[in-house]
Amino acid sequence: MIQDIIQFPFLQNAFLSGILIGFIGPVIGVFLVVRRLSLIADTLSHVALSGVAAGLFLQNKVVQPINPVYVGMVFSIAGALFVENLRRWFRYYQELSLPIVLASATGLSVVLISLADGVNRDLFGYLFGSLIAVSRTDLMIVALIALLVLVMVVLLYKELFYLAFEEEAAVTSGIPKNTIHFVFVLLVALVIAVSMNIVGILLVSAMMTLPVAAGLQLAKSFKQVFVYAVLFSQVSVLTGLVLSYYFDLATGGTIVVLAALLLAGVIFVKKMVTWAKGSPRSPRKIRQV
Amino acid sequence: MSQEPIIELRDVTFRYDNRPVLEHINMTLNPGEFLGLVGPNGSGKSTLIKIILGLLKPQEGEVRLFGQPLSRFKDWSRVGYVSQKANSFNTGFPATVFEVVSMGLFGKMGLFKWMGKKEKEKVYQAIETVGLSDYTRQNIGQLSGGQQQRVFIARALVSEPDLLILDEPTVGVDAYSVAQFYQLLDNMHRKMGVSLVLVSHDIGVITSRVDRLACLNKKLFFHGDPEDFSEQQECILNQMYGHDVHVIEHNH
Repeated sequence: MIQDIIQFPFLQNAFLSGILIGFIGPVIGVFLVVRRLSLIADTLSHVALSGVAAGLFLQNKVVQPINPVYVGMVFSIAGALFVENLRRWFRYYQELSLPIVLASATGLSVVLISLADGVNRDLFGYLFGSLIAVSRTDLMIVALIALLVLVMVVLLYKELFYLAFEEEAAVTSGIPKNTIHFVFVLLVALVIAVSMNIVGILLVSAMMTLPVAAGLQLAKSFKQVFVYAVLFSQVSVLTGLVLSYYFDLATGGTIVVLAALLLAGVIFVKKMVTWAKGSPRSPRKIRQV
Repeated sequence: MSQEPIIELRDVTFRYDNRPVLEHINMTLNPGEFLGLVGPNGSGKSTLIKIILGLLKPQEGEVRLFGQPLSRFKDWSRVGYVSQKANSFNTGFPATVFEVVSMGLFGKMGLFKWMGKKEKEKVYQAIETVGLSDYTRQNIGQLSGGQQQRVFIARALVSEPDLLILDEPTVGVDAYSVAQFYQLLDNMHRKMGVSLVLVSHDIGVITSRVDRLACLNKKLFFHGDPEDFSEQQECILNQMYGHDVHVIEHNH
């Protein structure tokens, strides 16, 4: 395997960008999960899909050599801003903005895909992720965005943490909620856009939620959630890449299935430990009278 | 400390979708005072607090904090706030007592800064003040309701505020913890000179502890000494509620 990585640049690109995405995905995901906004990842990935479809359409019909991933990136950023505005519009039904945008974006994607001559191999790669899709330029972009995300999260850590824990109190202490939220949603959009090549549009949100869900089971502090989430994420990305290379499996799917198995394993072990300790909190069947 | 009032409300009126919630409220809190704000459910107590904290904007009237109009007030670290909702936060949130109390310093520290040694020391001290030193690294979800409430008070205290606002802080807290809680407030008020606003729907408990009392039900029905209040109690309450009321005295 290591020889292959040295020999084939495309594998280097895939592994390096996998490691980077496996790092920033859960870092951003922690804040999404604790704010109960995990669905934003799904929504924005569908918006990115419509961007990719638009990119493919331009590529096929307007003969311009344009990378659909960048169109997807522009779309997901625009989508992020749109969701924010819609949330303010539906003040009493804020979560409604997500299915609205998700459904509209999916509809637009399907129309654009049909205009761009339907499902081809390229589209399949974007949807489900692919080992060979990552070029050296893509890797550079992923690295740049990963750096940006990391720097922003470190700089805004305490504000993001306080807002996630108790928004009202955070605002009264003088934290500029709207600005922070705006920057954060932009970061989410960027992470989704750069994760498309490896994990695929339909599976991007899994990278932001599954490792975090597993991390939540074990963490004793907020900082520990990050440590565990990144750890689980790296294990699933690296193992997933190796397995998909040797057994010719869909890369994104393999990674996500592994992340789901890890989560199931963590929950199982935790239950066993609770059960072994005989804690009164362990689930018991209550007989209905 | 300057002698200008800490909170000054002048003729504040607030409507929610044209429904009046507060009408022509005039109120002051002087340095070092302990003000009890009482009123029935839905009387606008929490709305008034939100206006003082700048979370809601009144349609009419003026609010001043530490002598500055609210629109220009920036020094929010001088104000500590313990909300009603502190009791019903997400108990599954993965944060330790230390992490939650630290939040109280975030606003004061400003953007792009991380906690240093000095800040951590302050956090430990605030945790000690509320008597939770043994729980510093515990997850907040594992504490009892009374302990959680003390964590939120530590969070409000850690920035060494001159004003502490508590909105129904004892809801859902057991009687023993409530007694401890009032002890803590007394200490802060007497020894640290913190000015306090305590919101409650329970008139009996708070009249014996505060320096000044404000009774609110859309309008301000009384604003002054608790002793004067006791004398005119029935009259005021009848006006306020619109019918006969009997106050049950508790002596915690």
